[in-house]
Amino acid sequence: MSKLSSILDLEQLHQRLFDDSDHEKLRLVVCAGTACQASGSNGIIRVAKKHIIQKDLLNKISLRITGCQGFCEMGPFVLTEPQNAFYPQVALDNISPIIESVLDDKHVEELLYRDSNTGKKCSNLEDIPFFKNQKRTVLGANQKIDPIRIYDYIAQGGYLSLAKVLSREDPDWAVEEVKTSGLRGRGGAGFSTGIKWELLSRQPNGKGKFLVCNADEGDPGAYMDRAILEGNPHSILEGMIIGAYGTGATNGVIYVRAEYPLAIKHLTIALGQARDLGVLGENILGTGFSFDIDIVRGAGAFVCGEETALIRSIEGQTGEPRQRPPFPITKGIHGKPTAINNVETWANIPVIFRLGAREFAKVGTKGNSGTKIFSLVGKIKNTGLVEVPMGTTIGEIVFGIGGGPPGDARIKAVQTGGPSGGCIPVKKFDLPVDYDSLAKAGSIMGSGGMIVMDENTCMVDVAKYYMNFLKDESCGKCFSCRKGTQRMYEILDGISKGEGTLEDLDLLEELAIAVMDSTMCGLGQTASNPVLSTLKYFREEYRRHIVDKRCDALVCKELTGAPCQATCPVGTEAWRYIAHIGKGEFEEAYLAIREPNPFPSVCARVCNHPCESRCRAGESGGEPVAIRALKRFITDRVDPGAYKPMRLVKSDPEMPRIAIVGSGPAGLTAAHGLSLMGYKVTIFEAEDRPGGMLTSAIPAYRLPREVLQKEIDSLIDENVTLKCNSALGRDFTLQELLDGDYKAVYLAMGAHKSRRLGLEDEDAKGVHPSIKFLKAFNLRGESLAEGRVGVIGGGNSAIDAARVALRQEKVDSVTILYRRTREEMPAFPEEIEAALEEGIELVTLVTPAKILSKNGNLEGIECLRNELGDYDSSGRRRPVPLDGSEYPIPLDNLIVAISESSDLDCVAGSGGTEIDTVDNDRIKVNPKTLCTNLPGVFAGGDVATGPSTVVEAIAAGKKAAVVIDRYTRGDELEQPASPLVPKVYIEPGAPVDEEIEASRPRQPEISAESRRRGFDEVELSLTQEDAIRESSRCLRCDLEFTRPNQDEAEKSTAESKPA
Amino acid sequence: MVELALQPLKESDEVTPERIRKIIDRHEGALGGLIAILEGVQAQFGYLSEKALGIVAQETGRSLVDIYGVANFYQSFSLKPRGKHLVSVCVGTACHVRGAPAIVSEFEQRLGIEVDETTEDKEFTLKTVNCLGACALGPVAVIDGHYFSKLKKSDIEKLRHDAQEGFDRAGDEEDRRIFPVDVGCPFCNHSFMDSGFYINGRPSIRVTVSFGDKHGWFRMSSLYGRYDIFSEYEIPVDTVSHFFCPHCHAELIGSWECPMCSAPMVPMIVRGGGTIRICSRSGCTGSDGHMLDLR
Repeated sequence: MSKLSSILDLEQLHQRLFDDSDHEKLRLVVCAGTACQASGSNGIIRVAKKHIIQKDLLNKISLRITGCQGFCEMGPFVLTEPQNAFYPQVALDNISPIIESVLDDKHVEELLYRDSNTGKKCSNLEDIPFFKNQKRTVLGANQKIDPIRIYDYIAQGGYLSLAKVLSREDPDWAVEEVKTSGLRGRGGAGFSTGIKWELLSRQPNGKGKFLVCNADEGDPGAYMDRAILEGNPHSILEGMIIGAYGTGATNGVIYVRAEYPLAIKHLTIALGQARDLGVLGENILGTGFSFDIDIVRGAGAFVCGEETALIRSIEGQTGEPRQRPPFPITKGIHGKPTAINNVETWANIPVIFRLGAREFAKVGTKGNSGTKIFSLVGKIKNTGLVEVPMGTTIGEIVFGIGGGPPGDARIKAVQTGGPSGGCIPVKKFDLPVDYDSLAKAGSIMGSGGMIVMDENTCMVDVAKYYMNFLKDESCGKCFSCRKGTQRMYEILDGISKGEGTLEDLDLLEELAIAVMDSTMCGLGQTASNPVLSTLKYFREEYRRHIVDKRCDALVCKELTGAPCQATCPVGTEAWRYIAHIGKGEFEEAYLAIREPNPFPSVCARVCNHPCESRCRAGESGGEPVAIRALKRFITDRVDPGAYKPMRLVKSDPEMPRIAIVGSGPAGLTAAHGLSLMGYKVTIFEAEDRPGGMLTSAIPAYRLPREVLQKEIDSLIDENVTLKCNSALGRDFTLQELLDGDYKAVYLAMGAHKSRRLGLEDEDAKGVHPSIKFLKAFNLRGESLAEGRVGVIGGGNSAIDAARVALRQEKVDSVTILYRRTREEMPAFPEEIEAALEEGIELVTLVTPAKILSKNGNLEGIECLRNELGDYDSSGRRRPVPLDGSEYPIPLDNLIVAISESSDLDCVAGSGGTEIDTVDNDRIKVNPKTLCTNLPGVFAGGDVATGPSTVVEAIAAGKKAAVVIDRYTRGDELEQPASPLVPKVYIEPGAPVDEEIEASRPRQPEISAESRRRGFDEVELSLTQEDAIRESSRCLRCDLEFTRPNQDEAEKSTAESKPA
Repeated sequence: MVELALQPLKESDEVTPERIRKIIDRHEGALGGLIAILEGVQAQFGYLSEKALGIVAQETGRSLVDIYGVANFYQSFSLKPRGKHLVSVCVGTACHVRGAPAIVSEFEQRLGIEVDETTEDKEFTLKTVNCLGACALGPVAVIDGHYFSKLKKSDIEKLRHDAQEGFDRAGDEEDRRIFPVDVGCPFCNHSFMDSGFYINGRPSIRVTVSFGDKHGWFRMSSLYGRYDIFSEYEIPVDTVSHFFCPHCHAELIGSWECPMCSAPMVPMIVRGGGTIRICSRSGCTGSDGHMLDLR
């Protein structure tokens, strides 16, 4: 490399390199940023080299190894030029076909990127939503540059901005341009870079001045600076050299954290090459201007991001901030004037001079010009680096570029600004991202970390996490920061353990403000942001921890225990019966199942098993333990007689009488609980048999009638009187019950009214509300469907209706119509799968627009096709009907299964007693006590919550029994909550042979062929062998709480040893 | 040269004023000063012992309190001896929300130590770091310089095992990433391949090495990705040697410097195209064994 001695030399070199680089040359580009290296890009590079050398392709295709290109989620990835095809997550075997396809100007179709939201294949990088919706002014260059080759940078126009500045021979012009561009510091505070330069340029220049690049990227969760350092180090050097020319600085320092070894390596190479080429060092490009840059490695201290602390660290001292003024701009490193800018700021400088300051300022919003890079990480589908114009909304970044949540859990908030920032809730996602808007919302821009949080993220834990970080990183100089962060951490820790009080929240707020007001540097002044912003937007979560002793995100250990137990509405100790199964103790397992749940066999078949959805074995790609199948295995084989309910009171005719309306799971469970306490219970059931939805809606092939009947019978004992065919409002009124000798009334009528579509002719002959359709069949054996049947809806009741229809004799075909995609159907996936197997057709992304009928008889339905549009507040894309896409579907029967509500006419007409409702849809209750506005009247289950699950109804029934008991005794209804954690120690069985890689067993089923017309139960029991093996996959989260500690264990074994 | 990762830390790394003086001389007066000196001491001796800090104080003329203050302030300094393998688990925010705490506790259980402790057999030290900057792939850990991403609890035991085996020993002969190269002199174009001496079942690469007053042959594996070497004379660690073509006797040297240690890189032409460069300093990992440059 020969030294360039003039600006002209550089320009000619650029021209030569530009002309030489064959722009049509075939090329394989491999990202080798740290993230991609962690995903295996080094192996990809080697295999590519091997293929090229062994097939003698060096003259046909070349290889470029680049720094981070930002789409880290897809690493290791390969790009091809000039096709610009993007191959994500490639394997070693994929490299040869990709190289061969480039040579043939083809694509390896099956390896191309597919948009996971639309399923669309993208053959060009530009088509990929992650890239398409960005403006990669700074990051875009990384694709074109091998960071260890200065010629790559120069071929792309590198150092030409420097040439432009030097040839003007007017340092003030350079400063003026930066001011005009409106560039603000990208490190977080957003101070005008131009003004900072101007201040430095006015400092006397006797003993030298310093320019510093702050590459101590210490914000946890932010790594955009790293991508620039690793991927385009020369852009930083060029920015600094221009800065030095403009401000008269003599020395440059890059303060880079030691955790970034690849960045240090690339910077070192870049500095050496820049000096060799004559763009850095003495007499740059022969102009007489001299400037050099040193690297100083940080040794790991967050506070060193603060400028005065950073300066002390560069001087080799402890990184404690000092009082300002004097500001570093007058007295910095070794007392000399010093200006500090962040990596991304420096990388923007060459861009300003390349585009021109005015052009640069056109991007972004007024006062916030240019683009900003964010590291979009956490609970998001497309993690990576995202560069967008300032003022882009959070929603566009998170959903438009980030692709929304990776799984089913909904996005709750985004944290910006690292430990100094705050959490912005999803309802504020229309906030434009700029320095001022974020500050107004209680957060800060910071260096650009954007950590997406979903409902599995606990906001108390997040606040505690940051406070733990800050108390460790506080340098300790200011008392209020040192002690304040420590005390805030202790308070948060207490809350996360369920030891907090509501007064703690006030104390936290007071303390947070005190720390903010009374500390010297930025660390302390912003340390309270995580606490204040979570308190502002997520106070309810704090309250749940403090009052209800629950952490809904299942993060705070002491309030979570075992997730299976914590998520079970009736608190079933799933871990416990699974442990018993592993040891062959089936009867004990049955007791653990039956104890909290009077409907074990029912739940073993139809429960929505929230326990499985949060099972730790199912985290990070694993499969949850098949808890419901294990429950089924036990309930199928153990005689229910093994369970002897504990009766608290001997049968006493004097005990108060309680009326229960409705004999579904909510009503029967309450009756059972009250009966065990000795109460005399009368259940009023409108239909001719008990069971509510279990009987009338759930088909026999899912829940065999004899199983259900047995379980119901076991609950109706001598204290319980069941009155069928007695409907509230028709046969008696609420007032009559209250006037009678019932001490309390529990309303548990469920939600039996199907919602209407709201279309004309909805009452045409052949249109059936789903509940009516299911009841006709399940209770009276009437087959209402025939011919071609359509079912509208995506929930379990739609699937039930469809599968029941299919089994009716005169039915030819069944089609389910749903407005979103299959993934978004609320029905159980296994039920959808079973329906499809049986031959039911599923049409998604359609909206019913018109009922087609003739003379009051249904002829079909007209549908509009939908397209997925914007994201709604739940983070799901809205189905948007396409204009003019109407098409008819001829039908003989239509079943409407879009949702259910409660028929509240029966209570409205209850003779003068007005019961409060929510939208006349459900009865309004205090969720903790189930009290309605009428004294002595309680309500629970679907009638109070809207349509929900069986196990929720059972939970409501249990709660009703407890509350009604306390009510009749005159006790306080609300009781203090306590954390629900495992208490019983069940010694783990012998470890199963590790050679057997157990995986979740598929529950046996009868064949689709044999079940299509019959009502035999579809799912069968697991074999004993499968059940025991499956139980061994349980991670035994309980042991952490129940395992005797070492000393005790030793003592107990010592004691049990024979003398 | 190519084998640092395979070389066990030498037992005889005794902390002496002379050795520390050498480190101080490299950094004194430069920016970063004391921090750079302490980093150098830690790099050489594994941690900052009381004795080492005392010598640094003596040699720099600064008070031990000052030195201790700095050593204690920054996270990357360790005042306790570290194990052979350093496990750093990232507990940055992105990793935290994706389950880093569970990964930390799994490491604690598997290693039988808590964070900031070293196993009794001096094999492992467990640390947490605030952010490794690989946020997209959390939870992340770095073990002996190797990044591991999207960790699950079930991965940890294997990592512990592999660390002891050595991650660099990836290459069994079947590894598709390893492939043979034939190389020659960039000046006279003669082949360096020596079919009289096989390494890893292939002709070895033979050149001439010279350091101090020693002058002899030097052979290395021609499997790209394998680091096996044989030398007529044992080259002490940290020695920069000169390499020559055994045919035209030209010194093998070009314009490239090692990105890690700034020693000259030794170029060799690859048949089929490209250049391999290796660092001329023994024990340096700057070229990851060797660097194959296709341009």
